[in-house]
Amino acid sequence: MNSRRIADYVTENRESHYRLAYSYVKNPDDALDVIQESVCKAIHGAHTLKSPEFIKTWFYRIVINTALDLLRKQKKLVLADDEAFETLHAVVDDPMEDYDLHQALERLPGHYRTVVVLRYFEDLPLNDIAEVTGLPLSTVKTRLYKSLKMLRLELESELDSDKKGGNTYGS
Amino acid sequence: MDPKIEKLRNAYDSIPIPDELEALVNQTLSQAMGASGRHGIGPRKHRAAKGFLVAAASLAAAFVLFVAGINLSPTFAEKAGRLPMVGQLVKVFLLREYTHQEDSYDASLQSPGIEGLENQDLEDFLNAKYLSENKALYETFMADMAALKEAGGGHLGVDSGYLVLTDTAEILSIGRYVVNTVGSSSTVFRYDTIDKVNEILITLPSLFKDDRYIDLISEEIKGQMVAQHQADPNRFFWVEGIEQSVDMPLFGRIARDQSFYISAEGELVISFDKYEVAPGYMGVLTFTIPTEVLKDVLVSRVYLK
Repeated sequence: MNSRRIADYVTENRESHYRLAYSYVKNPDDALDVIQESVCKAIHGAHTLKSPEFIKTWFYRIVINTALDLLRKQKKLVLADDEAFETLHAVVDDPMEDYDLHQALERLPGHYRTVVVLRYFEDLPLNDIAEVTGLPLSTVKTRLYKSLKMLRLELESELDSDKKGGNTYGS
Repeated sequence: MDPKIEKLRNAYDSIPIPDELEALVNQTLSQAMGASGRHGIGPRKHRAAKGFLVAAASLAAAFVLFVAGINLSPTFAEKAGRLPMVGQLVKVFLLREYTHQEDSYDASLQSPGIEGLENQDLEDFLNAKYLSENKALYETFMADMAALKEAGGGHLGVDSGYLVLTDTAEILSIGRYVVNTVGSSSTVFRYDTIDKVNEILITLPSLFKDDRYIDLISEEIKGQMVAQHQADPNRFFWVEGIEQSVDMPLFGRIARDQSFYISAEGELVISFDKYEVAPGYMGVLTFTIPTEVLKDVLVSRVYLK
């Protein structure tokens, strides 16, 4: 994979990448660090990009992993196990205002928030989210569903409309 | 779309973009793609300046060149959908030789040259670096020789050369060494590892997600040192865990840009110059770090298997 092509891509889409990074680290300094490191990793790891059509999901994955790494280092993020997840679920079942809605999004375990951010803010199709996160499509759907439930939002028809991609289940 | 999601999305879309983002991306790209000494994943701004100084200092200190190659498996090449022949045009050759033989003074300096890279900047950078290092060695040798003659004579020798360690379709590894002989000899090794397909110089920090590798590798090496000593008491290192008779500074941790190469088996090999972590009789030391030890901090398993 040509690193020139990667360079063009990260230059063109820098703002979108920055927002994605920012949505994890929550401050401009760290977000810029994440972008810098991601760009380095992309250029140095250009061979891990299988073909140009995957560039978006490939780079998103780098940004997200870099951001999560940074958070882990700063210990802002505690990776939630299932138990923690259930507890959280109970908490956000309470009625909430807009402020709480933001809080709830922040409180979502990293892997769940990723799904919400990619689907609703970055407009990625579920198949691409599966590609970015390296998860089976079915898991992505489950996480999106649970995330929305946690956010006390009505599940919309999109899970159904995306069902035709369900044959990648378990892949 | 659900109005609540809409609200969250609006908040997301209005995340302000700092002015410096564009410059940062451009600068990072040119550093990552260029062939300067600053190609590692360096921290931003003020911290970046410091990293550059360190890199520049270590380049200046590099007498000896050793280019280490990385062996990528055919399976990977296939997976990556790249042409395995691309890298075959890249070659290492004897670019220049300096020799001087006179009584007890002996210099034999060989500069490797690299050709066939499309990234002309990288090729020029490496060739210029190899040449200027050997030229500097030669000049130092001639000056030292003149000084010794004036002082009544002595023995002086300097020997530099290179080895192609790995040369596959994807990876070129060149090892460069310099042996200085003034009474006893000192040996310095430096390595350059080039990804021939992407035409980039691979640095130690660039292999890892963050600086955790420094401690992981250091601890692994300390363990290997103690184990080697226990198996054979003649294997001696300046390290905690081995009884020291002389008060030498003990090995603490590797440098961020410690000398390294990648073996044909895809394992990271860390190298220490003579006297760096052990008495001179131990010579130049290398420690192979099992990839398993590093798996949590690797950016990818492309180079290290």
